[in-house]
Amino acid sequence: MSLTISSGEELVELPGIFDCEVVSQGRVMDGIFCIMLNCPTIAKCVLPGQFVNVRVLDGAEPLLRRPFSVHGVNPGMGAFSLIYAVRGKGTELLAKKRRSDIVSVVGPLGKPFVLGDNPEARHVIVCGGCGTAPMVFLGEMLSKKWGADKVTALLGAKNNDAVLGSVDFQNYGAKVSVATDDGSYGHHGFVTELLSERLALPADGTRVYACGPREMLKEVARISKQAEVASCQVSLENHMACGLGLCLGCVQKHVQPEGKPEGWDYLRVCTDGPVFEAEAVIWE
Amino acid sequence: MGVNLAVQIGDMEMKNPVTVGSGTFGSGEEMAQFFDLSRLGAITTKGTSLGPWIGNPTPRTVETPAGMLNAIGLDNDGVEDLIENKLPFLRQFDVPVIVNVVGKTVEQYVQVVQRLKGVEGVSAIELNISCPNIKAGAQLFGSSPEAAAEVVEAVRQETNLTLITKLTPNVTRIGTIARAVVEAGSDAVSLINTLLGTVIDIEKRQFVLANKCGGLSGPCIRPVAIQKVYEVAKENLGVPIIGMGGIMTAEDAIQFLLAGASAVAVGTATFVNPMAAVEIVDGIEAYLVAHDYTDVKEIVGVVQ
Repeated sequence: MSLTISSGEELVELPGIFDCEVVSQGRVMDGIFCIMLNCPTIAKCVLPGQFVNVRVLDGAEPLLRRPFSVHGVNPGMGAFSLIYAVRGKGTELLAKKRRSDIVSVVGPLGKPFVLGDNPEARHVIVCGGCGTAPMVFLGEMLSKKWGADKVTALLGAKNNDAVLGSVDFQNYGAKVSVATDDGSYGHHGFVTELLSERLALPADGTRVYACGPREMLKEVARISKQAEVASCQVSLENHMACGLGLCLGCVQKHVQPEGKPEGWDYLRVCTDGPVFEAEAVIWE
Repeated sequence: MGVNLAVQIGDMEMKNPVTVGSGTFGSGEEMAQFFDLSRLGAITTKGTSLGPWIGNPTPRTVETPAGMLNAIGLDNDGVEDLIENKLPFLRQFDVPVIVNVVGKTVEQYVQVVQRLKGVEGVSAIELNISCPNIKAGAQLFGSSPEAAAEVVEAVRQETNLTLITKLTPNVTRIGTIARAVVEAGSDAVSLINTLLGTVIDIEKRQFVLANKCGGLSGPCIRPVAIQKVYEVAKENLGVPIIGMGGIMTAEDAIQFLLAGASAVAVGTATFVNPMAAVEIVDGIEAYLVAHDYTDVKEIVGVVQ
């Protein structure tokens, strides 16, 4: 879907291609970085759950852009930030960018989280590992829209040193609970166990939002369905080539009762997602 | 500007020599957000089959040095959906549409082309013969001159539209295949389709792609593609060549024209730079002006 916004005098068609100046780059923890990029248009228009496709260098190797969910925006500064883990060639190159370097960004891309229209609803955010990055943005928007007292964030990490984002959520006034695999902080176990506890209280009207490893998302989907929540949305990370909806590389099996003899279809994570209602995702 | 960029492929008039690679441009709707589609010389659709083809399981793509592999599996919604939903959108623009056609039997190709008879907004058919022939042990149609010619002959009888046959490089002598499809009635040939390749995950000890192997595209294949264009041009078949394979910039495209292509297609480049195709149109024009040419045809096949 294209969106035309007025940015001062100009009408800008979105998504767009922007040459963004690096405002800052810093190490958040071992192997995890936060880069802030200047782009007033994206800062103003991007919604939680959307992503940008970043060109990590001008040449042909590595060839493809790298997709990253948006972690936060500062519309006053005209900037947005990404949090990412260094996993390979592309992210290694991104981590080397310094203040005032120019980075080409395509975005905003994808369908954002749906925040709902029930003022009484409770919102539960579930994140695992680096999946916390876009959920901080979501938490901020949910708190602004519905009040921080309606928002709970459940964070899962390997250990105490790997916990990401708890301070950010607390800054918005959301309630935060943490689970670590080794018990070095918070609950000793999986973040999905915290979700089960949370949903054991009457859960109708509750909206769940999740981002993290696929096994975690599957479990969140299962628990949420059992608890009969009003909505459970997951952000998927299927491997992408173009990120623009052109190549059909990133597809996800999805329930599709109409017009499909087998009752399912392949949807594009980059364009029809990355956010999906968990109930309709065919996990396999 | 005084430079003529228009080229003629069969009966199809392209306002400039740039089209897009089938399967790299979506249905056009996504790309219309980035530029006016009327700027292109032609638009090539995704490979269109008779009924919908679901495509391969994921992973369907993987990056490789200066390139990528794809095993999408010709995922498409079929010719009825093309006619009902995709072509009406493209008709809004002043750009000829080349419908790329796929099939698992000769009959399927024929039926798709029959269905397209009289459909408004179709300027040409591009036959993707890199499909496995299920009646011949899944050998690619395009890997034998006889099988390739059989498809072209059968389709030729069904249409007067410009018929372009897209050649695979995964053959012993592409010149032989080219000759066979031209003698069978092709008005033009396009090449190259992707090169067969694979990547193995050494920690999991398995193929990265669900389909095991896939098609290699991107800058890494460009030297092969240009050589194949030159090889086919030397056959002097008397039909235009649409050259493609790793074109990222106008400079790349011009190599193909000099080698003997009358037009080019831009594919994987669009994933990296959505503006690639239009920048290439502008860049070809700038090159011609800078070198005092007045017509793009002047540089076609100049390198012998």
